[in-house]
Amino acid sequence: MTTMAIPLPRTKAPIARLLRSELRMMLRRPRTLVGLGLLAAVPVIAGIAIRIAADGDGPVGEGLSTLVAGNGLMLPIFSLLAALTMLLPLVGATLAADALAGESTNGTLRSLLVAPVSRPRLLAIKAFGIATVTLLACLLMAATGTITGIILLGGDGMLTVSATRLPFADGLGRVLLTALLVAVQIWGVAAVGLAVSAWTDHPLIVLSVALGLLIVSGVLSAIPALDWLDPVLITSGWESIGEVARDPLPWPTLTEGVLRAGCYILIGYSVALSRMLTRDG
Amino acid sequence: MVAAARTRGLRKVYRGTVAVDHVDLEVPTGSVMGMLGPNGSGKTTTIRMLLGLVEPTAGEVELLGHRLPDGLPRALPEVGALVEGPGFHPFLSGRENLLRMGAAEPALATQAIPAAVSEALERVGLAGAADRRFKAYSLGMKQRLGLAAALLAPRRFVILDEPTNGLDPAGTRDVRAVIADLHAAGTTVLVSSHLLAEVEATCTHVAVLHQGTVVAQGDLTTLLDADSAGLLVSTPDVTRAVDALRDNRIPARAVPNGILADLTTTTAPAVVETLVRAGVPVHEVRRQRTGLEDLFARLTEPSPTDSLDAELAMIGDAR
Repeated sequence: MTTMAIPLPRTKAPIARLLRSELRMMLRRPRTLVGLGLLAAVPVIAGIAIRIAADGDGPVGEGLSTLVAGNGLMLPIFSLLAALTMLLPLVGATLAADALAGESTNGTLRSLLVAPVSRPRLLAIKAFGIATVTLLACLLMAATGTITGIILLGGDGMLTVSATRLPFADGLGRVLLTALLVAVQIWGVAAVGLAVSAWTDHPLIVLSVALGLLIVSGVLSAIPALDWLDPVLITSGWESIGEVARDPLPWPTLTEGVLRAGCYILIGYSVALSRMLTRDG
Repeated sequence: MVAAARTRGLRKVYRGTVAVDHVDLEVPTGSVMGMLGPNGSGKTTTIRMLLGLVEPTAGEVELLGHRLPDGLPRALPEVGALVEGPGFHPFLSGRENLLRMGAAEPALATQAIPAAVSEALERVGLAGAADRRFKAYSLGMKQRLGLAAALLAPRRFVILDEPTNGLDPAGTRDVRAVIADLHAAGTTVLVSSHLLAEVEATCTHVAVLHQGTVVAQGDLTTLLDADSAGLLVSTPDVTRAVDALRDNRIPARAVPNGILADLTTTTAPAVVETLVRAGVPVHEVRRQRTGLEDLFARLTEPSPTDSLDAELAMIGDAR
């Protein structure tokens, strides 16, 4: 006698299908598209401004920006660092706010839960969506920055802060590295946002907390008496991403920032998960 | 037979407020159960606990034979639900919203999703507006889309929370037809509503909730029959009929074209016998059928049965 295996009914939808659906939804949201469009325009505007300044008599500016004139591949790096101070965290926090708090308010989270999508899975899908779209934002800025830089500012390869000249491909590698390093920092902010998002139904609270955290962190790091706090502040080391323009690359400095963001991601995600498991749908 | 849903001693406390207490609900397989109750009586809270959206403070829930919360992943794929109004993304069209819901349905194969979506849209009469943004939908269309989402995959149990909210008469009729279709196909339906006529027209069973607890549940006809304690007798000789019954300690009162005898203490044959003995011409005798409305009012309003008694007493006093 042959035993027949009765196929158990499926209890989960395929994960790839869910991730695709999540990304499609996020990229259809007008807010996301406007945000991405504006971010993509930042390097273009910066490039035009630097070009005009370089053509005139006055000084181009200070810090990295002096290096951008006539050094096109430095434009995307400069733009990403400029956006890291406020614009990109704003995008990360907005995405985190929409992911749970926003979806809970318009009832779509409930629909997914009864489909059913299990709670840990739902959080993972949301985190994947936020991480992908923020990475996309950084890569988009890198792309428009590179193209604008080459067209408007030109340059042969990349002139580093250490006064060496890198070939074009290596320069491009540095741009990509910057985009990744910046994205990781934004993930840290978004993870904190996601944790708050799991606790509230009000997206604005998520935005306030995430941006408030950055501001407080910036203020605290500016007080010399509180220097001992620096290792745990989320914004510590954001400026040091500019070190990618050195030759050779100062890896210890760069990895430190990644590890710090990693801690924030871990903590934020854990808090979000613990709340997600018990929150009312 | 396993009930589609069963709860025992269900209790939910929100920040010190008891929303639901001692709810023992049983939704028989294959039934269309109407869940009735005034606003705030715990209908939605109970439904949310049935779907695992909210964890009960105490008590047990069984959904399609699976104990919650562990059985949720097994039970939910076969359960369709419209809870607390339709929840969709405003910037996506109706079809795109359903495609997204379809992607999350374990019971649907990936290739089958677009067809299932079209079919569900057709079923709720939204095919013509499928590609308009959800934002631009009227309240009734939003409600229809919510219904479509509940019907997206093959279901054994469908839970509809206030499905006719915001619908015009045609929409209400459509919902009724959808429920009838589901019932004919053997799907169990739990529908909460405060529209009594709606429930009376579509349901085989009812559960009445009041102040967070189930005050009555069961087969609709049985409940209504048990509640009707009156016998309507048509007779031209009203005065003699009432007197004859009162002499035999049966409360009765005059109604248009006859009398209404109270059956709480006696039976229908006894009433007829008394009347015939007294020589009252009896043209027609029938049981008074209480509407669901009366039953509902009696169960959910303070000191409800008093009204008939008070009326009878007044008639007695006047004489």
